[in-house]
Formats: sequence, structure tokens, C-alpha cells
Amino acid sequence: MIATIVHTDELLQTIAASVVAGLGVTFLFSLAIWGAGQFVELSRGERPVAATAALVVGGFALAGVAAAIVIGILVMTSK
Amino acid sequence: MSSDIILIIVIGTALAFDFTNGFHDTANVVATSISTGAARPQVAIGFAALLNFVGAFISISVAATVAKDVVDAEVITPTIVFAGLIGAIAWNLITWYFGLPSSSSHALIGGVVGSAVAAVGFDAVIAEGLVGKVLIPAVVAPVLAFLVAGLAIGISYRVVGRQRPGIVTRGYRYGQILSGGLLALAHGTNDAQKTMGIITLALIANGTLAAESDPPFWVIASAATAIALGTYSGGWRIIKTTGTRIIKMDAAQGFSAQGAGAAVILASTHFGFPLSTTHVINGGVMGSGAAKRLSAVRWGVAGNIFVAWLLTLPAAAAIGGLTYGFTRIFGTGALGPILVTLMALSLIAVAFARRARGGAPVEATGA
Repeated sequence: MIATIVHTDELLQTIAASVVAGLGVTFLFSLAIWGAGQFVELSRGERPVAATAALVVGGFALAGVAAAIVIGILVMTSK
Repeated sequence: MSSDIILIIVIGTALAFDFTNGFHDTANVVATSISTGAARPQVAIGFAALLNFVGAFISISVAATVAKDVVDAEVITPTIVFAGLIGAIAWNLITWYFGLPSSSSHALIGGVVGSAVAAVGFDAVIAEGLVGKVLIPAVVAPVLAFLVAGLAIGISYRVVGRQRPGIVTRGYRYGQILSGGLLALAHGTNDAQKTMGIITLALIANGTLAAESDPPFWVIASAATAIALGTYSGGWRIIKTTGTRIIKMDAAQGFSAQGAGAAVILASTHFGFPLSTTHVINGGVMGSGAAKRLSAVRWGVAGNIFVAWLLTLPAAAAIGGLTYGFTRIFGTGALGPILVTLMALSLIAVAFARRARGGAPVEATGA
């Protein structure tokens, strides 16, 4: 009875997707900030290869965040 | 003639509800951006207003009409809808007066349920819908956002913990503009539709539109404009509560709360599990504060918010029911709704005059 009213499947899917998306986007955005911070630090320390690598990591992370935003807008428009 | 007057009053009341929805609920969306200094207050409010306006045009699936799953649509009349809207507007203004973030959607559902019960009796209520679509999500939303935001802030601090504070703060502030924008867009898409749905139902009930009609463009445009104007007017009292009174947040906490909120709202949208934006954002703010230090959350303020959430459905229902009963004293014509509208406008003018001066823009507190 309770399972019928609550729609357990939708609830569990919502919880799982929320956790994955919320933590995933936060991790990726934090990684982008880390990449930018490391790039500045390593550039000052005259370590161009490591600085570039940090920038690339940060760039990919930022691209992941952008993709998540696009998916979010698609979810809204496809309702 | 009488039914046309009631229809006009219902449309005006629905747009007034949409306006209160804008300044009441969107306050939650922009509060964290403003309090951490990610955006200046007027810029954040203007940006949110624009995205609410745009969001209202993104989807017109009026099947999302808020009351159809909780009350029997067959018994709904324009006067029941009117009384329900008055219940929702009254509760929104009461909670705004005390600076308490509560759900406009729950207020609307409560108002319509109360007026339908007053009109037809408890047979009008679809208990399964009320429990499954309103009560359970009301418990799940803040808990889920609390947990996701709490875990998210832990990840943030771990990843950027050794970076210079300046670049970290700037980075998360930029992130808040993105996450806040996504929340505002989602809010416009979800909540403006409720008003569109109600106006469309009233037009159908009046015979102005054929059954199963989509909302006309003027309905979409007026609902979008009302929610955007409400947003632009700024619910400063609620912004203060969500942005500064629950926790004193830094930019990373603001981003975690908004990011978790956006993820939870969009996930629930995708899987068809309805959650309140207000509950999600405030749960996220509390989670991002509690994960740093439990005592960082002002639990007294949080307790007042919980009480407001518990009271929203019954209080709006009581006001909606009483409003319906009052209108019926004057028969089934337009006189009752006209008198209620005049009384409501007088009360709103007094409330705004007393409180508007106390609602100055919020200063940034975050580092």
C-alpha cells in the first residue's frame, strides 16, 4: 500500500541521481578551481609542463560541468 | 455576466499568486549568491527575474497543474480555485512577513484542498495523491538536499583545501552564478506553469476555451511576466533568513547548497517525483553548514522554518476553506469574490506599508 502511494522506484531513482549529479558536479567544479589554482602556482614556480597539465585537468573538469548544465536544461525542456 | 466577473477575478488572483510566488520562492534561489557576494543584490535579483521569465516559456505542459493530483477535478469551480488562491496568497504573505521560507506550491495545494473540502466535503480529496505527491516529498526534499550538500561541501574542501583562498572564493562565486541561474530557470519552468494551468482551467470551466486546450499565448506571457516582476521586487526578508540567518556561509558552501539543490530538483523533475524548491534550497543550506560544524547552523531559525513548513498545508487549507465559506454567504454570484478581493487588497497594502521599509537589501557576509 505504502509502496504504491510513494512510488518507491521514482523515489530511489531520484535519490540516486541527486547524489551522483550533486556530488559529481561539485567534484568537477572543485577540480576546475584546483586546476586553475595549481596552474597559477606552478607557473610562478617555473614548472610549465606541470602547470599545463593542471590547466588541462581543470579544463576537462569545467567541460564536464558545462555538459551537466546542458543536460539540466534538456531535462527541463523535455518535461 | 456574473461568471465572466468571477473569471476575471480568478485570473487576477492567479497572477497575484504568481507574483507572490516570484518574490517568495525565488528569494531562496538568489539568497546564497547574494550573501556570499557572488552577485550584487540587484544584479542577482534581475538575473533571476530574467531567467524566471525565460523559464516560463520553456515548457507549457499544463498536465503539471498543481491541484489535479490531490483534488477531484470534476468538483472544481472557479470560486473554489479563487478561495484556494486566496489561502495560498495569504500564507505566502504571512510567512514573508515573518521572513520564513515556505513552499508556495504547498500553500496553493493546501488552499485548493481547503476550499474544495469546504465546498464538497472530504470526498473531494485524493488522499493517495496528497500523501504520495505532497507529504512524502515534503519530508524527502530537505533531507536529501541536506545530505547531498553536506557531502558536497566535504568534497569541495578536500579538493581545494590547499589552494589560495582568493582563487577558491572567486571560483566558487562564478560557480554560484551558474548554479543560481539553473535554479532560477527551473523555478520559472515549474512554478509559472502552475499559474498557467489554473488560469487555463478557469477559462475551460467558464467555456471560454475548449476542454484539453493548451494555454493561450497571453496566459503564458502574463504568468511569465507576473513571476518575473515578483522576483524582481525581491523578497528581502526571506533572502536575509536563507542567506544569512541559518548559517554564515562562504562561497564554497553557497555553491554546494545551490549545486546540490539544482541536482536534486532536476533529478526529481526527470523522474517525475515532485519536490519543493524552497525545501530543497533550505535543506542544502543547512547541510552545507552542518557538515562544516553542527553548531554552525542556527537551529532555532531552522526550527522556525520547519514549523512554517508543517503549518503551510493546514494553514493555507483553513484560510482557503474559510474564504470559500465567506464567499458563499453572498450566494454563488460575483459579490463574494469581489468583497474578498477588496478585503485582501486592503490587508496586503497595510502589510506592505508596515514591512517594506524593514526589507533592505542584504550585505554579503561570506569570505
